[in-house]
Amino acid sequence: MNETLRLAFGALTGHRQRSLLSILGISIGIAAVVLLTSVGEGTRRYILGEFSQFGTHIIGINPGKSETFGIPGVMGGTTQKLTIDDSEALERIPGVELVVPLVIGQARVEARGLGRSVFVYGVTSDMPELWRFDLGYGEFLPETDPRRASTVTVLGPKLKSELFGDENPLGEFVRIAGRRLRVVGVMAPKGQILGTDIDDVAYIPVATALSLFNMAELTEIDLSYAEGASTKRVVDDITALLTERHAGREDFTVTTQEAMLSVFGNVMDVITVSVGGIGAISLLVGAIGILTMMWISVGERTSEIGLLKALGATSHQVLGLFMAEAVVLGLAGGLLGVAGGLGLVALIRLGLPALPLGTPPEYVVAALGVSLVTGLASGILPARRAAAMDPIDALRTE
Amino acid sequence: MKLLDGILFAMTALFRHRLRTSLSTLGVAIGVAAVVLLTSLGEGARRYVDEQFRSLGTNLLIVIPGHTDTAGGMPGLGGTPNDLTLKDAEEILRSVRGAELVVPISLGSETVANRERRKQVYVLGGTNDFIAARKLDIHRGSNLPELDWERSKPVIVLGRELAEDLFPGEEAVGGVVRVGDVRMRVIGVLQQRGTQLGLDVGQAALVPVTTAMRMYNESSLFRILIQVSERADMEATKDRVVEILIERHGEEDFTCITQDSVSGTLSAILGVLTLALAAIAGVSLSVAGIGIMNVMLVSVSERTSEVGLLRAVGARRGAVRMVFLCEAALISFAGGTFGLALAWGAARALRLAFPSFEVTPPVWAVVAALVVSLGVGLVFGVMPASKATKLDPVAALGRK
Repeated sequence: MNETLRLAFGALTGHRQRSLLSILGISIGIAAVVLLTSVGEGTRRYILGEFSQFGTHIIGINPGKSETFGIPGVMGGTTQKLTIDDSEALERIPGVELVVPLVIGQARVEARGLGRSVFVYGVTSDMPELWRFDLGYGEFLPETDPRRASTVTVLGPKLKSELFGDENPLGEFVRIAGRRLRVVGVMAPKGQILGTDIDDVAYIPVATALSLFNMAELTEIDLSYAEGASTKRVVDDITALLTERHAGREDFTVTTQEAMLSVFGNVMDVITVSVGGIGAISLLVGAIGILTMMWISVGERTSEIGLLKALGATSHQVLGLFMAEAVVLGLAGGLLGVAGGLGLVALIRLGLPALPLGTPPEYVVAALGVSLVTGLASGILPARRAAAMDPIDALRTE
Repeated sequence: MKLLDGILFAMTALFRHRLRTSLSTLGVAIGVAAVVLLTSLGEGARRYVDEQFRSLGTNLLIVIPGHTDTAGGMPGLGGTPNDLTLKDAEEILRSVRGAELVVPISLGSETVANRERRKQVYVLGGTNDFIAARKLDIHRGSNLPELDWERSKPVIVLGRELAEDLFPGEEAVGGVVRVGDVRMRVIGVLQQRGTQLGLDVGQAALVPVTTAMRMYNESSLFRILIQVSERADMEATKDRVVEILIERHGEEDFTCITQDSVSGTLSAILGVLTLALAAIAGVSLSVAGIGIMNVMLVSVSERTSEVGLLRAVGARRGAVRMVFLCEAALISFAGGTFGLALAWGAARALRLAFPSFEVTPPVWAVVAALVVSLGVGLVFGVMPASKATKLDPVAALGRK
């Protein structure tokens, strides 16, 4: 075995230039695959991170049962409404911790002659705890009966700086759709979630939002449940309770954070695999390159093979010798490719820190495995050609 | 030595080593086929989206309730202080000169049932003009009535597939269905099947907009569609619509977009995606080039004495370089041609499998593939060719 490897190395270093070129071909393919899967994996982690920062034990309930678009409640109306009464009833389900009735609207928020059209969320005092949002300063909306409207608002930091600059807005008034609301707090910066700036919002009590937007139903109910509780049991309880409250009709959609995460994860996996697959075309071409060069080298070394066989080397040993050459080429290409791929990833991290990248160690191992297999596969034909040579004929050539 | 001689000379050399030539060719062919096929797929997707939009006419304005300055915020999500109302639609029709058709739309999802056959579908409230604005046709029966302010008639037009599902083997027109709790008379069936721009027309149901708004107890419209007359200027009409609505609402709490801007954005996104995928696949062409270079280097060293002879009988360095460049270019060009044929065959197979999706290699991709493959051979042939020219004729002849 050692002997075989030594011979293979000798042959490869004998033709340094052509070995290097073969290695380079494989390494470009491996580097492309490593880089592309890193981008895919990074994006997946980024998206999952965006979602799970709200916590993974969250369930959203939207009005309407729609399986067509997969975005329940976003499109248009339904006959049965999701109400604040519904949301209060949900609090009684065992395991359910926080329930927040939610009304989403878009309106212009004005103060001191400045104005900005933003999303306005009608929520209750439990919202920051449920979504794991932090208050910057002041207070959040007071804990009151969710059916009672009150004229207070909490601003997102982006909206606050657009309207008030660096000044303290606490106690100041803003106008939303013609109503004067007193600013009681400002949220801590949270940044963007999937491209949407969630600091550019105003939070108002849910009843205020219902009347401001002249709406009769909630946009959504969000709730969290205990870590120990079974997701399925909670979902079943919610479905049973709301169906009963809605005259026996399941006219709402329950979405668990877990289900959403797994759907996104699956989609990302498919994308990563397909893009990585397109990158792997280079690997195939590289393998053909090794095959060609090995074929040539077997032809050139006919007399050497004849000599080896005449000295008593079996066909198996000759086969092993050439396979070893191909594998060494493949593995070297893999190592160089992984190094190149990781180098590119590091460069991109420096140049474009915003682009999420992630290279799980198992991908690197897999890339090396693939390069090994590539070498083996491309070595088979030439090695068999060498092994099948008749020693007498082989010695006679030349 | 002329170029033609060079090509003939190179061809003889290539034929002598058939296997290595065809393997090198195969490498290029795989790369070219991948690039061409991916651009075909991307182009096909782009054209499909484009045609979907174009079939609806390029002169549509869409008004959506809600307006946001927030980065990444989508209009049309959630409530707004001022509803988009039927009065708004009426005012647009009256005051905007370029507005040919104005269709107020309300949308919801509801169960439509004929006795125990039931189906959850999108029920869309509109007027008789909806059919015209979305370029739909009535298969049987009649269209929705004109906008009626006073009454909300309990009538419904069913999508073709929905009608067949609810009334299998029966005449749907004249029948009665329950939509939620409301009984409605079927007055017509649509002609079209399948999906149009995200709306499954075959599985949709149309009711008068006033009926839908009452049923859903909603005060705001989902959209207002405005078909602008061919002669009118789109931008000016859009500005006028915005002006009128701001006047009525007191603020810009709606978003007005042109159908063109939507399709343009989608088209641009698909174009970028196509280019990115093609570039990724294109990496394989550089690998194929390296393969060619490697084989050419071998070929140069094998033919040292031949080069020496050529030089000895008076061939210039340039001629020697040309011979080897020709060889490299021939390999890659043959690969390019072969790759195109592969891609064309694959595209044809895809067309047979998915007839509605047109996968045709775009002309520019075909031309680019041939040019690039030729270029790959020339670029990666330079090093081996110049190695050949540097051989000293005497030493080259002397060896072996």
